[in-house]
Amino acid sequence: MSEIAVFFLHGLAYAGLLFLVSSGLTLVFGMMNVLNFAHASFYMLGAYFALSLLHITGNFWLALIISPLLLMALGMVIERFLLRKVHVLGHVHELLLTFGIAYILHEGVKWIWGTSPQAMAVTGILADTVSLMGITYPVYRLFIFAVSVILGLLMALVLFKTRIGITVRAAVDDSAMVGALGINVPRLFMGVFAVGAALSGLAGVTAGPLLSVFPGMAESILIDAFVVIVVGGMGSLGGAVLASFIIGQLQSFGVILFPEFSLALIYMLMALVLVVKPEGLFGEKQ
Amino acid sequence: MRKLIMVGMVLLLAVFTATASLAGGTIKLAVMEPLSGTFKDIGDRYLEGVQYAAQVLNEQGGINGMQVEVIPVDSELKPAIATRKATKLMIKEGVKYFCGGTGSSVGGAMVALTGKKGGLFYTYGMAAASMTGAKCSKTFFRACANTDTQSYALANWVASQGFTKVFTVAQDYSFGQQATEAFIKKLKELNPKAEIVGKVLHPIGTKDFAPYVSQIINSGAEVVFTSNWGSDLTLLLKQAKPLGLKAKFACYYLNDENAITAVANDEAVVGSVAAEVYMITIPGEANKKFVEGFKKAKGYYPTWLRGKAYLATMFWAEAVKKAGSAKVSDVIKAWEGLTYDGPAGKWVMRACDHQTQQPIWIAPVVAKSPYFKHAYVGEAGMVPASKVDVPCAQTGCKGLAK
Repeated sequence: MSEIAVFFLHGLAYAGLLFLVSSGLTLVFGMMNVLNFAHASFYMLGAYFALSLLHITGNFWLALIISPLLLMALGMVIERFLLRKVHVLGHVHELLLTFGIAYILHEGVKWIWGTSPQAMAVTGILADTVSLMGITYPVYRLFIFAVSVILGLLMALVLFKTRIGITVRAAVDDSAMVGALGINVPRLFMGVFAVGAALSGLAGVTAGPLLSVFPGMAESILIDAFVVIVVGGMGSLGGAVLASFIIGQLQSFGVILFPEFSLALIYMLMALVLVVKPEGLFGEKQ
Repeated sequence: MRKLIMVGMVLLLAVFTATASLAGGTIKLAVMEPLSGTFKDIGDRYLEGVQYAAQVLNEQGGINGMQVEVIPVDSELKPAIATRKATKLMIKEGVKYFCGGTGSSVGGAMVALTGKKGGLFYTYGMAAASMTGAKCSKTFFRACANTDTQSYALANWVASQGFTKVFTVAQDYSFGQQATEAFIKKLKELNPKAEIVGKVLHPIGTKDFAPYVSQIINSGAEVVFTSNWGSDLTLLLKQAKPLGLKAKFACYYLNDENAITAVANDEAVVGSVAAEVYMITIPGEANKKFVEGFKKAKGYYPTWLRGKAYLATMFWAEAVKKAGSAKVSDVIKAWEGLTYDGPAGKWVMRACDHQTQQPIWIAPVVAKSPYFKHAYVGEAGMVPASKVDVPCAQTGCKGLAK
């Protein structure tokens, strides 16, 4: 019994990470209709910023707060001076732009921090282990899950219960009307994009101590993030939660139940969802 | 002004060619490595080893009076690009000697090219056993371990420690599969009582190893064999410790200081072992002198890749020396059966498959190292060549000298 519980815990922790990584992507897509290819690069940059902050301050909590703020600023700049300019030209141009940004960030990271993997270690309580049901479990994995739960609740609260959330959702449906009511819609979208970037940054910081910090970390997570939002439904927050949970458990139990399919499991799930419900679990029909 | 520069350049060129011809010409060696992109840090370190070998040789007056000129080539880890650049060097600069250590696919393409156009390619890092097996070639020489010999060495260690419950973890592609297979085969041979309590082949680039680690813990394994490299090695070690795994790892590539820094937790690596044809902790005067000389010249230590590339290049230089000419066919003939007694013990280039017969060194990671601030491999112990040897008849290589 406790063995099953352990694998369930592994799945939860990984689901937490997946949700952190995909939440920003799905937010930006849901609210702005922009598929941000540079998302994973923001995630990587978040981890590298945290790494440097950790070297300077020696305080992980500080890095956890400052790094997403830096990404938020970067997101603002990119939206204001690049994305907004190509928005009128349509989706393909937006996609190409974010693709280009991803390349630039990728090379920039290698140029500044080098190509060898970097160590990012947490200290104190986060580096500890706890005894759960007779087995030792690292606190950090529980921490990742906790961060993702808090973040998910916070996002839902802001989007569905506050004035800002209502305005943003209204702007998605009819930006001209919202603009006519005297609300600065471009600034609103800039804010959404910046928050999306900050979320990827947060995911990067959180993932850093569990996974290594290296230039390939962006590509390795991008596919997983896309699978999550495709399975959950593009732009759906609830869908991202559910998809993360399913994929996390699938990865964890799949390893014992169908080891020979471990490479293909999540793609098989994605294919299944696309066949049965092409818009994703919680997606809206276009 | 422009004229003056031109004249200056012509003069400089004249001086260079004059000195070169005085010294008996140059022998050009192109190093095919990924010098950009994700694997740059691997390619760079191999190149540094070859460059230091050339420096040492040139300080000694070159090979038979010929100065060694190292030409770094960015293979970009793409066979088509590597061979295109190599062909250009062959035609334009008359380069005949090539080496490389990264990417068996690049290696395969280079072997085909040198076989067709008349050149020689040697490797200090490509481990696919088939390169000196079914796909062996007259123009290809391997001066490092392959998946058979390295796995055999680790099987020797596991057997000698008396472990009976063994778990294997490897990446799910030809390299990982071959390494696992060879390890299990040898272990069964050495210790029939040993039991493989679990065998995992996982996708390359796995991020969460927790489910695998729990599997290892539940299996009651005493030791874990792994041929993983890159993030698959560091994440496995890094995540195993906090999950409560006590078993140690027998690794292909833990001899890498970058991997140990990336794990960022000395406790997670101490006690596990690494196996390689070269480590800076090999005992003996010859290695001590090499390490000191390298450190003095370069400012850092000749760990792992650097040492391997250096030794292989010195071995090649011995062959050229013995051949007495820079002609490829002479060098091939001279290298077959040649012995090189260097810092890592006695190496013999076997004629039947061009695989170097060499001892493999095994060392446990220790907490305190004179070389680094973090944990690193301690003094290495030798597994003699005879214990990791694959007989000529079993390599699958046909058509080379008997």
